[in-house]
Amino acid sequence: MNNTIVALSTAVGRAAIAVVRMSGEQAIEIAKKFFAPFPTQPNFLRVGKLSTEHFDEQAMCVYFVAPHSYTGENTVEFHCHGGVAVAQAVIETCLKNGAVMAQNGEFSKRAFVNGKQNLSNAEGIIEMIDAETASAAKAGANLLENNLGKRIVQLQDELLDVLSACEVALDYPEEDLELPTVGTAKQRLQQVEEQLSALISTSTLGKVARYGIDVAIVGRPNVGKSSLLNALLGTDRAIVSEIQGTTRDTLRESVNYRDIRFNFVDTAGLRNSDDVIEAEGVRRAKKAADSADVVLHVTDDPNDRSVYPTVRPQVRIYNKSDLYEREPCCVDSLVVSAKYGDVEIIKETLYEMFSAKDIDSSDLLITNERHLDCLQRSKRQLASAIAACDAATLDVVTDQIRLAWQTLGEITGTSAQEDVIDRIYSKFCLGK
Amino acid sequence: MTNKNFDVIVIGAGHAGCEAALAAARLGCSTLMLATNLDTVAFLACNPSVGGTAKGQIVKEIDALGGEMAVNADKSLLQMRMLNRGKGPAVFSPRAQVDKNAYHTNMKQTVEHTPNLHLRQGEATDIEAAEDGGYYVTTAVQLRYHCRAVVLCCGVYLNSRTLVGQCVRDSGPNGFANAKQLSDSLVRLGFELHRFKTGTPARVRLDSIDLAKTVEQKGEEDVAPFSYMTPSVPSAKRSCYLTYSTEQTKRIILQNKHLAPIYNGSINGVGPRYCPSIEDKVVRFADKERHQIFLEPESEDTCEFYVQGASSSMPADVQEQIYHSIEGLENAEIMRDAYAIEYDCIDATQLDASLMAKHLAGVFFAGQINGTSGYEEAAGQGIVAGINAERYVHGKPPFTLRRDNSYIGVLIDDITTKQNTEPYRMMTSRAEYRLVLRQDNADLRLTELGRQIGLVSDERYNKFLHKKQQIEQGMQQLNTVVSPKVYGSLFEQKGEAVTGAGLTLDEMLRRPNISAKDVQQLGYLQGLDGDALQQIELESKYSGYIRKEQEAIAQAAKLENKLLPPDIDYMSIDGLRIEARQKLDKIRPKNLGQAGRILGVSPADIQILIVYLAQVIHK
Repeated sequence: MNNTIVALSTAVGRAAIAVVRMSGEQAIEIAKKFFAPFPTQPNFLRVGKLSTEHFDEQAMCVYFVAPHSYTGENTVEFHCHGGVAVAQAVIETCLKNGAVMAQNGEFSKRAFVNGKQNLSNAEGIIEMIDAETASAAKAGANLLENNLGKRIVQLQDELLDVLSACEVALDYPEEDLELPTVGTAKQRLQQVEEQLSALISTSTLGKVARYGIDVAIVGRPNVGKSSLLNALLGTDRAIVSEIQGTTRDTLRESVNYRDIRFNFVDTAGLRNSDDVIEAEGVRRAKKAADSADVVLHVTDDPNDRSVYPTVRPQVRIYNKSDLYEREPCCVDSLVVSAKYGDVEIIKETLYEMFSAKDIDSSDLLITNERHLDCLQRSKRQLASAIAACDAATLDVVTDQIRLAWQTLGEITGTSAQEDVIDRIYSKFCLGK
Repeated sequence: MTNKNFDVIVIGAGHAGCEAALAAARLGCSTLMLATNLDTVAFLACNPSVGGTAKGQIVKEIDALGGEMAVNADKSLLQMRMLNRGKGPAVFSPRAQVDKNAYHTNMKQTVEHTPNLHLRQGEATDIEAAEDGGYYVTTAVQLRYHCRAVVLCCGVYLNSRTLVGQCVRDSGPNGFANAKQLSDSLVRLGFELHRFKTGTPARVRLDSIDLAKTVEQKGEEDVAPFSYMTPSVPSAKRSCYLTYSTEQTKRIILQNKHLAPIYNGSINGVGPRYCPSIEDKVVRFADKERHQIFLEPESEDTCEFYVQGASSSMPADVQEQIYHSIEGLENAEIMRDAYAIEYDCIDATQLDASLMAKHLAGVFFAGQINGTSGYEEAAGQGIVAGINAERYVHGKPPFTLRRDNSYIGVLIDDITTKQNTEPYRMMTSRAEYRLVLRQDNADLRLTELGRQIGLVSDERYNKFLHKKQQIEQGMQQLNTVVSPKVYGSLFEQKGEAVTGAGLTLDEMLRRPNISAKDVQQLGYLQGLDGDALQQIELESKYSGYIRKEQEAIAQAAKLENKLLPPDIDYMSIDGLRIEARQKLDKIRPKNLGQAGRILGVSPADIQILIVYLAQVIHK
């Protein structure tokens, strides 16, 4: 139980702050890799820079030294800005640096095991684990019913085939069996690896299903971004005025459209400003755009052909259509009037973008962090097996395949050694 | 007056019994070994070979602990091969053809000349607890012996019956008498019995085989002997021959399928999938056109050849047709019929890792009676049971092997943790730490343990220390940097790219085509023997993978080190699923690692046990 676990400790979703907690022997060392300056003493919050792959975040960090923490282990907490994307990125950073995703209730379990909770809680915790088992079983059953589960079982089965053939080659060197060559094994492994990659790539969509879609509203000052936000929400949430630079900070609000949640982020108008606060707002606007799933680039000039500089997908919005005398120049854009509440087409377009082809309940979608973690580990192990096909001997290749297969089994719950042996005997005629 | 009082009685003188009796006697216990027939001592009832994949590793482990199998096989060698060359050091497996008669005679002599060890013909019929905490063992001729500990190594003799078609006989293997009453005694002592089956092929006359139709399989000259103590032995004295079954074989079997006991219901025992009879192969793998058959010499002093790959329980006349349909055996003269054999064995989950019955202190089991198959598996258990019988008698803590230090450890953990549904055969795929459990390092893994136990002689121990010291000496040199001027021509010659920069010896050894011998020829690693060089080379070449495995071992050790108190009331632990409660209650694992390997105990159950343990500790 000495690996270091990480999880979001606050509720998922919109909140002022999100707390990501990491517990385990390595927690402090891991945190030091991406949070600086690291607090000089335990139990004191310190402001610093948290560097993730996508962005740097100003956050606060506090650490506790074992046994003086909730879990009784070394613990680090990051208090960062609320919202899903930030917390997600922080967790990913922890995972990349050696932490593993906590199981449900694992912090409490550790607290109990380390004697940090008194005995009267014991029954409750056992119940909790019990419930977890039941729900895990249920989740497992659900998983197996859907296509994702089926696909994973398929991949595992494919690996088991390759694995058992390799094991037979190792354990029965003198049988005249038609065994695959290292070349064909490698090819089959590569196919599995590709399919794993494809599955892993759906995790982005999985996040969409779970956390919603982040939509950044950007553009020059006074093009009506805040009005657009209000129109999209159907409330007067953002302050709207004719003064340029009214919106200083980013403002995030969610709305459900059919079965998808859109998290709209209104941002400060983009311009060079000497005002320190406004300049900061512009910086944040750019950051919001870069971490959004899609960017609404708003303009009020029908002749505007400019493109917002981001790698994210973007949609150009011609706002204030009620003032236009002629059709805007770019046809692949949306024309709306926030003032008259005529913005349904935006929601419809976004919905089309993210739902029609990608989010289909029957399609494959990784929504569970633990599953994603397993898939990614399995893929790494498979890559190691593929590399070993050229660089090492069959014993090593086989061991690496076995690891990849077992890791997939952590999702489906089936990777007993007996499975390999059963497969060997059902497929190959062996014996003296 | 004849002595009737012993420290240890070993029942059975097969491969498990001999190792158990030798270990107990060598460690100072007055030991009696009973056999139904003294001509069965170390009898190779099936194939005349020792070793093979995973089994060869076990033979080397027995040797490192100070056992006899390796030495005895080397003394009786007909040919030796190293299997799996080219598939990696983890699975290199030495396999010997041995002289069946010599194997028996050599082992019997060793037993006879071992101080403290008494060999006695006699069929044990009853074991009962004595008033003093020891046991009485009674034989069929009503002699009663007393002992402190008893080791049961009854092989396939308990209530056994052999089948050749409809001809069913109460008999042990090869017509030897079986043991009729001991099963009942075991039931009285609280043991659960299972019924397993196995089989053996016919033996045919060498001079009736048309060898021209077969492919000769010679031994390999350069394979090291099994034992670290055997200097070197000629390893290609006799050849084997490879041939194949034919379409006709298939036809005969399918026509007579109804006569096979295995298909007409007259066999009740569960047979091993890895050792199917020829009729089983043909029926289950109908697509396969032909099956490989190896013809192996039984002994230097007989014409008998073993027909490996063609065991059968068909009626004798059908057997004749089947064997005659094999290429080269058209006119073969059958000397012994093939037969299937059914026998009683115990549920080995009733034993702990020292192979002692959990509910009956001082009663040990080893070999096929535990539901395993194979001489090597039996011998590996035998030495562990013998050692532990001695330790029990002398009040020492039990000796157990682990999954991360030996195949024997994997074997004993598997059979005492998971209920066998068929005879258990060792395979390298059963070992999760295959890369560290190699045949070449069995001495490095286990000699020190054998020394502590007291079975490793000074001579063996000094050899081991010498090798270890040489390896250390070599390892210290691995960071020495070699200039391209020195290694350039070697690398070119071996097809390795020359970088222009200096390389350490370690970096050189990691190149696939560079061996430690090559490095030695450049003037490094001087004075090191071949054995030490091999270790250094493997540790370098596989260091990345070995390190990963060692990390996994360390990870697993955390669970292995969490001991489960023997008196846990599993049935009352809330949250455990019913199946898990029952399995845990029955098997009573020693630690959380073992608990996790029980079939039917899930990771969630283990979490609950962790919480439960913490609760107990904090109370």
